[in-house]
Amino acid sequence: MAHDEWSITAELARLELDEAEARRLAAEAERMKELFSTMSEADVDGLEPTTHTLVRENRVRNDNPEPFNNTEDLLEAAPEAEDKFFLIPNVL
Amino acid sequence: MPAEIKDWAGVLKDPDLKNKYVEAVRNNDGEVGAFLSFDADDPQGRDIPEGRLSGIPVAVKDNIAVRGRPLTCGSRILADLTAPYTATAVGRLEAEGARVVGKTNLDEFGMGSSNENSALQATVNPWNHDRVPGGSSGGSAAAVASGSVPLALGSDTGGSVRQPASFCGVYGLKPTYGVISRYGLTAYASSLDVVGCISSDIGLLESAFHAMAARDERDQSSVDLQPAGESGKRVMMLRVEDGVLDPEVALSYESAAESLRALGYAVEQADLPSLNLVVPAYYTIATAEASANLARYNGIRYGHAPAFSENPVELMRQARHEGFGDEVKLRILLGTYVLRSGFQDQYYGRAQKIRTLIRKELAGVFRQHDFILMPTFPTQAFGRGDAGMDDYRQRLADVFTCLSNLTGTPALAVPTAPAAGLPTGVQLLAPAFAEDRLFGIAREIAGDFPVMLPEGALDIRSLS
Repeated sequence: MAHDEWSITAELARLELDEAEARRLAAEAERMKELFSTMSEADVDGLEPTTHTLVRENRVRNDNPEPFNNTEDLLEAAPEAEDKFFLIPNVL
Repeated sequence: MPAEIKDWAGVLKDPDLKNKYVEAVRNNDGEVGAFLSFDADDPQGRDIPEGRLSGIPVAVKDNIAVRGRPLTCGSRILADLTAPYTATAVGRLEAEGARVVGKTNLDEFGMGSSNENSALQATVNPWNHDRVPGGSSGGSAAAVASGSVPLALGSDTGGSVRQPASFCGVYGLKPTYGVISRYGLTAYASSLDVVGCISSDIGLLESAFHAMAARDERDQSSVDLQPAGESGKRVMMLRVEDGVLDPEVALSYESAAESLRALGYAVEQADLPSLNLVVPAYYTIATAEASANLARYNGIRYGHAPAFSENPVELMRQARHEGFGDEVKLRILLGTYVLRSGFQDQYYGRAQKIRTLIRKELAGVFRQHDFILMPTFPTQAFGRGDAGMDDYRQRLADVFTCLSNLTGTPALAVPTAPAAGLPTGVQLLAPAFAEDRLFGIAREIAGDFPVMLPEGALDIRSLS
């Protein structure tokens, strides 16, 4: 049961786990989940969630285009590229 | 006593001295393994400008981008990546004349407390090669402690600057959240991550911090340093139950309190009632954010890709399977789980409310005290491999450090007297933006606990 739960989660995370790895990680994940469950003892009624500690407002900047002249380096880092495109296997 | 800043300033400017320095670091780092890459020549061939850090060599944790240098994050998935741009924090140090000389080892993507989760290299503690340097910024701390550089950058999500600094006997600063831009820092848990610094010299740490601290248009969560108000001499010392700390650490903790009392500080013991919630809340938030941030490693735009895959989904799955190590996979798995529909309120939502609870509690403490004195980690540097601490216990032991990541407040790891051949240290916390207060108290306490580097550390003065 627990193992299935983590297999579904791994699928959602696009993680492929071999058998041994899945067993090892599921056991460790169960242990951490138990630790997380201790949070249920806390009284959090009426408390707002903290997403960021010091960010008071959403900050935006002007949407000005800036030239980036280093595109070759970016493409160079791709596992596979052709001309100015990243290559991936066929989708269909 | 470690070399002073003036001893370092000429090392990269005089070609003869620079050659000697490069050779000395290569010898010095051979066994320690702090550096994943080392090259004292600037990849962009720029001159060194005048400034308050002019000519100072800096090591940078390999999850922070420096243009033209590797950016591996200690992971197989990025083992061959070269950074196409420079992090704002590094750029600001360079503008003051500092020069990056190498990139340091880390637990993969910053996930770990030992450096043993690095997929690329082993780093050992310069004080005792059978011990870990700590983590995740263990390479940076080891580089400073072994005398290869006077200053290094790290990142701190749950203690990753302070714990290795403490294990290696040097200063480690985790600044107020947002005061140093995260632009160019590889994201792990964005609401907790900060760029921090490690040094053997408190004055240099202070100069580096002020050189980097400023709002950055490229990081929307960044803020300017704000006035923190006057400081008094009231210290809350966290009461720690018997048996939680190793004997040497407990003694060091007491000795730091004694030293502060002798300096005229009023040290008062107290509890933090929510402390037992810190680790579960921290790991819930950290893994949730990690699972989102690490979704970008998919073998398409950069990083490792499998030799062959049938379709894009298989490409992603294989790239991640082959590229990530166990601890990273575990944290992605946990983070994905706590964000799954149906579980979010129970875990992630609750952890964020607990974060509010802890913030309020700490704000209450800082209304009555100017500092909190805490341990950094329950043990000194532990053994490598099976002689060490298991991964689960390492996570539980983050309790003293991850508190200030949850609250966004600054904390400084300060060395105390070495014991049993290894460094010890304590941690001082202050309210948001009160870094200067921390530098001040660290200077005072340094009278009792001068920084020491281990035997065999490189002494830059011996080269000229």
